[in-house]
Amino acid sequence: MSESEEPGFVAGLRESIGRSGSIWVARDPVNPAMIRHWCDAMGDHNPVYTDADAAARSIHAGIVAPPAMLMAWSMRGLEPAGEGPDDAEDPGTGVYRALDAAGFTSVVATNSEHDYIRYLRPGDELHSSQVVEDVSEEKKTGLGVGHFVTTRTEYRNQHGESVGRMLFRILKFKPGTGRMAQAGGQEAAERPMRPQPGISLDTAFFWEGLEAGELRIQQCGACSVLHHPPMVRCPQCGNYDLGWVEASGRGTVYSHVEPVHPAFAAFDPPYVVGLVELEEGTRLLTNIVDIDPEAVRVGMPVELVIRRENSQGSLPLFRPVCPPRSEVTRAGDAVAVGDELPPCPIPITTTLIISTAIASRDYQDVHHDRDLAMERGSPDIFMNILTTSGLCARYVTDWAGPEAVIKRLSLQLGVPNYPNDTMTLSGSVRSSEAGRVEVAIRGYNRLGNHVTANVELELPPASD
Amino acid sequence: MGMSFAGKTAVVGIGATDFSKNSGRSTLRLAVECSDAAIRDAGLRPEQIDGMVLFTVEDNHEIDVARNLGIPELTHFSRIHHSGGAACGTLHQAAMAVASGACNYCLVFRAFNERSETRFGVGVQNRAPAPTPMEVDFGWSSPFGLLTPASWVAMFARRYMHEFGATSEDFGRVAVADRKHAANNPKAHFYEKPISLEDHQQSRWIVKPLHLLDCCQESDGGQAFVVTTLERALDLPQPPAIIAAAAQGSAEDQQMMKSYYRDEITDIPEMGLCARQLWRDTGLGPSDIQTAILYDHFTPLVLPQLEEFGFCARGEAADFIRDGNIEIGGRLPINTNGGQLGEAYIHGMNGIAEGVRQIRGDSVNPVPGAQNVLVTAGTAVPTSALILSGSH
Repeated sequence: MSESEEPGFVAGLRESIGRSGSIWVARDPVNPAMIRHWCDAMGDHNPVYTDADAAARSIHAGIVAPPAMLMAWSMRGLEPAGEGPDDAEDPGTGVYRALDAAGFTSVVATNSEHDYIRYLRPGDELHSSQVVEDVSEEKKTGLGVGHFVTTRTEYRNQHGESVGRMLFRILKFKPGTGRMAQAGGQEAAERPMRPQPGISLDTAFFWEGLEAGELRIQQCGACSVLHHPPMVRCPQCGNYDLGWVEASGRGTVYSHVEPVHPAFAAFDPPYVVGLVELEEGTRLLTNIVDIDPEAVRVGMPVELVIRRENSQGSLPLFRPVCPPRSEVTRAGDAVAVGDELPPCPIPITTTLIISTAIASRDYQDVHHDRDLAMERGSPDIFMNILTTSGLCARYVTDWAGPEAVIKRLSLQLGVPNYPNDTMTLSGSVRSSEAGRVEVAIRGYNRLGNHVTANVELELPPASD
Repeated sequence: MGMSFAGKTAVVGIGATDFSKNSGRSTLRLAVECSDAAIRDAGLRPEQIDGMVLFTVEDNHEIDVARNLGIPELTHFSRIHHSGGAACGTLHQAAMAVASGACNYCLVFRAFNERSETRFGVGVQNRAPAPTPMEVDFGWSSPFGLLTPASWVAMFARRYMHEFGATSEDFGRVAVADRKHAANNPKAHFYEKPISLEDHQQSRWIVKPLHLLDCCQESDGGQAFVVTTLERALDLPQPPAIIAAAAQGSAEDQQMMKSYYRDEITDIPEMGLCARQLWRDTGLGPSDIQTAILYDHFTPLVLPQLEEFGFCARGEAADFIRDGNIEIGGRLPINTNGGQLGEAYIHGMNGIAEGVRQIRGDSVNPVPGAQNVLVTAGTAVPTSALILSGSH
């Protein structure tokens, strides 16, 4: 028993377990406008969601809603108080209110498991009912002291057909009682500077180029051969007149290492040192950034990003390149256990966080109002779980192809996605049998692992 | 045409201090002790020494060592660059010096407190960014956190794994062989401490893909040699370890530890250059070598050395090792002293001493019929190698 709670507090909350609430009818039927808004915000260009002609020719025979929108349809949005049904009768809402009253006013979603029994179509009206499945004892977490509340929701359409199920777990916590809120930015500020390069008359052009926002490769003014590291005389033709060209910034990882021991205060582990081969043909050492170090592979396409880290000057760093969306759906027999999905970096901007929160009708202030988010002990707004679900689903279908059908999406959240970061999704095939494929994915940002997810897909079993 | 000194000189004395993690003595003391021992082993008196060849990175001065040993006059003294790449190069230089008559009895040594005083493994993060060639060179790597010898070598290792399908376990088998050999060597730090492949795989990461047990030790100690002409050697007490051939090599677009800009980075062309010279000067080939001391600061670069000398085809060293060829009883037992992983890290010089012991027949892991022993120096740097042969 925690000192912060009255005796019997948790027992009182747990009386709600197993009780069903009233049936909630979504405020709007499934409709193309909300679908398009969602797809725009998520960057999901799968034509079965928005292109009527392409959708009509697909296995869906018409437009369908992105499966990860399931919960979005039944969100209450910015509904004015008192206009909805009587929430107090709803066991889930009752638990949340009791926790609010006890000071556990902040909320963060931690897990969700979606089962998609069938994809929704425009015109479908969603009816949902929620059961509280569990309320935890008081837990100390990185975010703060709180309780995990698990609910299960059943979704039916207007004809009473079951269309989906969701298990959802949130943490209700007391703002300001965790470690994570305080730690954040401080650590990086105290990090000592990285070693500075020795720069000579012969190599200054390279470092000056970075300050000018470009990566320069030395080029012989006579025979046009490229050299890196720079020289003073072209060994090909004997010319001393050496200039430079600006690199395109595109390349591939030629080799890579992850230094672990000894630890260097100037470098924030885990970090990857890469040897990148530029498309122009020269190689250079760099850091491979915006990716889970375990997901770096020889041969991976990367692109230049010039950044000032804890360094005196700008450095040429490289990050993965988002793979192109598959136009053709993969066949199940062409997918093998261990196959890897190419990493896909997703820039986390304030715009992305807010537009996706609104597209999912999630008006929790922590997802769109920085001031209120900070009042609740967060360093900034952060991405909501529906968006993480939507991005995971997009990542997998962009790889598997437009007619891949997601049957199940379960995910667990780790560190938050705050603005001005990049989350890179990576994944691999965990099982593949007769067109039923399970993909394990991870979303990695500067703070660590944002999401661990499993996505189960149905693909055409065999290629023609 | 081969080198005129090939087969005309010999190692006639070897001497070493104890190898430890903390010698408790100055490096000068270590240098003098090991040199004293080598001169005694050769059956010579200090005043007969008239030449000295050291590593450029050796902290001790020739003149201080000469003064302490009582060497009155030196007619030849020179230094060899490039850290561990200098190891066999010092004997190459000494052989040339005595063969040419620049001196008669040449002392070679390496002594340091590499564990208790100046550890290489701690990295190069605190260097000042001067516009000198060395700092300009570090400028391409240090700002990204590639700061240690292990990390420099790991970059080659990852590419080798990618191109040839070698695995961490293949590197681990080198460590297992070294430690198996060290287990029989009372002078080795890891005497009676063999490891399993499982131990290797379980050892902590130093820099992925290298585990702790892929890395050599850091050690305090000194190792010395006396080189003279074969003619003089025949009058001395020890059976001569003939320097059948010795060679140095620096190859195209050579860099220090980071030759990452060549078309290929999975071979060691500077070692291939040494190999070609050794085969040319001796008329020998891979099948004539009974045992080898292959420089093992980090296990991965042992593999391409086997390939450069033709003990196996390119990209096939992992198979060669997997078949047990590098352990005692195998086709080519390597590092029979335990190597730098098992015995001690004396910048490759303790390996040359083991080569001499194999020729003399007093190794702790004697290879039957060891007539020609290959010894190599540091990899990933301009390097050197030699073949020691028996006189019968």
